[in-house]
Amino acid sequence: MEDPQSAYSVRLEMFSGPLDLLLHLIKKSEVDIYDIPIAEITEQYLEYLDFLKTVNLEVVGEYMSMAAELGYIKSRMLLPRIKDEDEEEEEDPREELVRRLLEYERYRDAADELGGMEILGKDVFLAGYDRKEMFGEPTEETEFVKFDLWALVDTFSRIYSDREKAETEDIFLSSQTYSVEERRDQIVEIVRREKEVFFEDLFEGDKNRMKLVVTFISILELLKDGILDVFQPSFEEPIKIILRQ
Amino acid sequence: MNDRNPLTNIIECLIFVSKTPLTIQEISEFLKDFEKEEITDALGELEEQWDGMGRSFILSNIAGGYQFRTRPEFSEYIVEFNKEIKKFRLSKAALEVLAIVAYKQPVTKIEVEKIRGVDCSSSVSMLLERRFIEISGRKDVPGKPFLYRTTDLFLETFGLRNLKDLPTVKEIEKIKEDMGEPG
Repeated sequence: MEDPQSAYSVRLEMFSGPLDLLLHLIKKSEVDIYDIPIAEITEQYLEYLDFLKTVNLEVVGEYMSMAAELGYIKSRMLLPRIKDEDEEEEEDPREELVRRLLEYERYRDAADELGGMEILGKDVFLAGYDRKEMFGEPTEETEFVKFDLWALVDTFSRIYSDREKAETEDIFLSSQTYSVEERRDQIVEIVRREKEVFFEDLFEGDKNRMKLVVTFISILELLKDGILDVFQPSFEEPIKIILRQ
Repeated sequence: MNDRNPLTNIIECLIFVSKTPLTIQEISEFLKDFEKEEITDALGELEEQWDGMGRSFILSNIAGGYQFRTRPEFSEYIVEFNKEIKKFRLSKAALEVLAIVAYKQPVTKIEVEKIRGVDCSSSVSMLLERRFIEISGRKDVPGKPFLYRTTDLFLETFGLRNLKDLPTVKEIEKIKEDMGEPG
């Protein structure tokens, strides 16, 4: 059996790390990457980490050290800038972070383009194509998800806080236990029947926070295993879940 | 067809039976009586002919060699027909690591992790196992970490002629310049 701790970290591995999260927050807040409102973005970043912890996704060290770095930049921004006699102008405390964000973004885009090439074994084939011969036995590997998983977290976070107010079932009084395994099967069944389902609708029957989290984790796992796929026609439209072809 | 250059036909059948992309080097080592230039011309002619025929497969110039490949628009039929073909899968994280290695090679794991801001051990070992990357040596810094580079299988899989054929390579080169790194 897999121990639960490592299972969580695998799930978080689906997300591409703290720089990816920061880029997502910058895009979402529609702020200029060259003039990041550090206090605002730091606050959002910490809220995210809190939320990930609430839903039992292990927040690994890298996310924590980025939080510390943001805090440090924020504090330096608050200090009055002292002009040194030797230096003409003091460096913007955000400069190093912006450089890293831009560098990471370029490679992330390059990875996207690479994933869009005509790939052997996916788009194009050879005569007598033998996958085993070419690549060896297929290994357990997570699906290439082009979709922005942070947007999925955004939606879930909204559902979670909405539902919190209207909690209808006391978790401690409920004798039921919830297994991700069972929930996975149910979700696959629903999606198979309906062909496509709004992400939000999958949480409809979940009457307490525990159930919400189990559903969310189940969906993440199904995405990772390449059983389900996410589909969002445009940034403004609600997220749909479909079976992967 | 009958007035076709015999050399063209010979090269064509060699490519047809070859398991890996056939390079000009390999062909000219075998066909010693022909000039390299003649062979190059014949290959160009072949490539053009196959492309112009509107067939479901074409002659592609991949990883420095030539290979017959199906056109991408027929992939769904091929996958449907050969149920045992497991569609190519690579995680977003692995693809990012692969892109960084491809553009920055030779590169150490620590350098890759510095760009992505996260631990990349599992992606690196997966890419090694799949033979998309390989160890090219050790970097002459304390600890002597391994250096990684992409393989020919990487080029073959992503349908690239060579590393210069990578998408947006010029843009990436420009960032390197902007950041004062040696190209």
